[in-house]
Amino acid sequence: MNNMKKQLTRVAALVAFSLVFWSCNQSDPAPKGDYVKGVFVLNEGNFFQNNGAISFFTREETTSQDDIFSRVNGKVLGGGVQGYAVAGEKGLILVDNSAAGLDKVEIINSNTFQDLTSIGAPDIENPREIVIGNNNKAYVSCWGANADYKYTTGYIAVIDLGSHKVTKKIAITGGPENLVYNNGKLFVGTNSDGGGKTLTVINTTSDDVVKTITVPGSATPIGIDANGKLWAGAGTNALKINVDSYAIESTLPIGSDSKKSARNFALSADLKSIFFVLSYFDANYVSHGETYKFGVTDTQINVATPLIKRVFSGLSVDPSQGLIYAGVTPSYAQAGYAVRYRGDGSLVDSIKVGVAPTGFFFK
Amino acid sequence: MIINRILVILFSITTGILLSGKTYAQKDSIRLEPVIVQGFVPVKFMSGLKVQKFDSTTLSQFKFRNISDLLSLYTPIAFKNYGPGQLNTASFRGTSSNHTAVLWNGLNINSPSLGQTDFSTIPVAGFDQLSVQYGSAASIVGTDAVGGSILLGSSPVNAGFNASVGHQHESFDNYQSQVSANYGVKLNDIWKISGKTNAYYGMTNNHFPYSQRRGYSILPSETFQKGLVQDLFLQSKNDQELSAHIWLTNNKLTIAPNELAGRELTLTEAYRTMLRYRFKDLALRTSWVRDIIDYAKSDFKNPDHAVTDKFSNRIEKDFQWNIGTNGNAVQVKAGAEWTHFRAKLSGYKNPLITENRGDLFLLTRFQVTQRVLLSLNLRQALITRFNPPVTPSFGGEYILIQKHFYHLKLKGSIARSYRVPTLNERYWKELGNPEIRPESGWNREIGLDQTYQITANQHLTTSITGYYNRIKDWTYWNPARNYRVENLKQVLAKGIEFQLGWKSNYGVLRSGANLGYAFNNSTQEKSYDAYSAEIVGKQLVFVPMHSGNGNVYVLYKKWKVTGQLQAFSKRYSTFDNSQFLPGYTLVNMLTETTLNLNRIRLLIQGRVDNLANTFYLNVRNNAMPGRSFALSLVVNYRSTKNNFY
Repeated sequence: MNNMKKQLTRVAALVAFSLVFWSCNQSDPAPKGDYVKGVFVLNEGNFFQNNGAISFFTREETTSQDDIFSRVNGKVLGGGVQGYAVAGEKGLILVDNSAAGLDKVEIINSNTFQDLTSIGAPDIENPREIVIGNNNKAYVSCWGANADYKYTTGYIAVIDLGSHKVTKKIAITGGPENLVYNNGKLFVGTNSDGGGKTLTVINTTSDDVVKTITVPGSATPIGIDANGKLWAGAGTNALKINVDSYAIESTLPIGSDSKKSARNFALSADLKSIFFVLSYFDANYVSHGETYKFGVTDTQINVATPLIKRVFSGLSVDPSQGLIYAGVTPSYAQAGYAVRYRGDGSLVDSIKVGVAPTGFFFK
Repeated sequence: MIINRILVILFSITTGILLSGKTYAQKDSIRLEPVIVQGFVPVKFMSGLKVQKFDSTTLSQFKFRNISDLLSLYTPIAFKNYGPGQLNTASFRGTSSNHTAVLWNGLNINSPSLGQTDFSTIPVAGFDQLSVQYGSAASIVGTDAVGGSILLGSSPVNAGFNASVGHQHESFDNYQSQVSANYGVKLNDIWKISGKTNAYYGMTNNHFPYSQRRGYSILPSETFQKGLVQDLFLQSKNDQELSAHIWLTNNKLTIAPNELAGRELTLTEAYRTMLRYRFKDLALRTSWVRDIIDYAKSDFKNPDHAVTDKFSNRIEKDFQWNIGTNGNAVQVKAGAEWTHFRAKLSGYKNPLITENRGDLFLLTRFQVTQRVLLSLNLRQALITRFNPPVTPSFGGEYILIQKHFYHLKLKGSIARSYRVPTLNERYWKELGNPEIRPESGWNREIGLDQTYQITANQHLTTSITGYYNRIKDWTYWNPARNYRVENLKQVLAKGIEFQLGWKSNYGVLRSGANLGYAFNNSTQEKSYDAYSAEIVGKQLVFVPMHSGNGNVYVLYKKWKVTGQLQAFSKRYSTFDNSQFLPGYTLVNMLTETTLNLNRIRLLIQGRVDNLANTFYLNVRNNAMPGRSFALSLVVNYRSTKNNFY
């Protein structure tokens, strides 16, 4: 009897376990596809050849698959890859063609990279960056036609991820560029050639501009640190900004050499440090510079001792492993590299990728 | 974004967009032997080199098309095409777009600012004669003749009056029209005058019924092309000739015409004028050419304007001696050329650039024996600020077998070549480099020509040529230096070309075939920075390793059916060969017939291009159009009299 009771309990436990397991399986199936987990490298390509592509490798691999979109779909993206964002099963790739009217947001299955649909001109013209917001929406900064290079035609395209349509265009002058989304607010920076000195804040419930923060230089929002503060590059300064009051809480000069420009800011995995590239062109048009790091609580930025003595065309940190991924572009006519570094700046390895790697996406 | 801007600028510099009477006899389509065209380009001094001359039948078959359409079907020249009606540059024997000299009546008409020709702006209607000379002939032709030269010319016409009106209508709302007349009269017992007037007009609307092929976009574009050709020849019985030549061209390309904010306009205009005078062995030539390029976006209101003027004068004198016991002829041509350039480009550091260039040349040809022909040519170019090296060439031909039905000739040449840096390469603000050196190359080639009269009705010609061409100080807009121009590369282009021509004549049934195959291996030899090691030994971009072409026709009475084929292996699109455009084969079919109504002759041609609806890509990574159709009608009137004397 006792034995039987035990057995019954076992059976019941097994059934219960199976049920739980089965139901888990039902509600949250493991995503299927060749691109579920790994590193996606955004290659800008050579602008006039429209040969941008996304390369892929898993974190364990040391070689990449080039142009996974074309591997899966049998056609190329048809432009430079400017950005990539994932919302659940959907991936959105920003494609910038050299000619007017052929730019687009390619929407794919983020796990299989199968093409779903695309949004083209006139909704999307010269797309620059993309972030996913709340309420099933994505935000794309676009320069617009910008035929005169005066950056007066820019806007943020609001994409409804259900209907795959641009539901609103929010005008932004100065060439909208980097985007940071945080808790119902979208922070919009501008291109350094656009001449703007404002960081725009958009309320993503109403999709209206609620604030323009004046900053000392063109604004490059970086991200939200461990203390909930927004960081932004502005000319040759790094700014710490309160996300509620929009007050600039600290201004850290990035060196004193006005010839040098700071680019490719990236927050560390613990959100306590910021990496960036400080570079300049010499009289012979050779790019020189180094990669530096500062802490979010530092009172000054040390540009005397570089973390890595190299310049990069792209810089990101893998939030899950903390490794620094740096893009190297030897030229726009040959393959580039993704070089991996540890947080202390020591080299791990390098992986050949597509032409002009400028961004990374981690999944 | 800065990158994109730089790229826009770079692209503009390298491609130039931002800167501111016919015989109807059905002959074989191609002759491979050198021909002597007195005066224009001294082809007779090109012994050892391969010269391919096109006959009037072939030219008239391509009457409504651009020169690149013809050349890609008859030669191994690889074109780098940006789309239908768009920028189209040549790569001859594995060299760059700057390494093909284009000569109009002996004058280099490559854009002085770009150092190249956009072949989409050169319609076949613009000239009467076409020859393609393979390999370096810098000692004869001058700068740019590194990979080869394309020789365009005007020819005098017979007495009488011929006029023709022609129209072609193609798929996609594309059409071309032409009106031409040629005329000749005897002025007195000594002098006769003849001339040609030709006006052409074309609209390439490219209204494709599809916006994509296999998921690849087709870039919308329109090209409006017009031109006027005027030639006048005054010839005397005492071997005097005075001629005047004018060729005006206007080519207006609009990319993305429906995108009012982002559309791009490239207007390319050329005014080419020339006066020539020849009295027996002395020839004088003076010319003025103005090239204008306007590039604008959006409303086209404030285009970047680029104007270059080229004033050129040339004098040459021929000498001939008979030496040796056999009286073998030595022919010598000595000459000088002086050219003045004036360039106004919004991208240049100085508002006006002027430059003088001089050339001295001495060409010799020695018929040693009946079987042996040699030529030794020398040229020295003199240019403001720097001089290219002395440019010699030595060529020879030896007839191995000479029978009435069979002929086998061995030929070879060794020649130095050079390329004077373009005005953009030197004067473009910041990115140009005033100190840049001329490129310099050595081309060696050897070949066999064979003609075989198989039967009384069948004739076969074949040729095989191998070449080895090394070019040093190859200039390069270096992306690692923000696209500043530098003498970075050293390129070795080597390859083999094979050509076969066959024709048969059985009275009312005639047929012929021309087949060509070329292997080309063109590689960068020198490493110049840490990452350039990855491109050493790699095939140059957009140079196919294998290319083939074929033309087959059958003529029955007044009906002619022609099949045309061109095939290319994959073309790498990155220097490290990590990416490529796939190879493809295109087939066209033509049917032609003529109707004679007294003095009026009607020529009707129907054509199917890309018969197999092949999918292929251009250098922008955009799809090229699929199958298309064209129908043309030419109405020709000719007067009875067609001889002067």
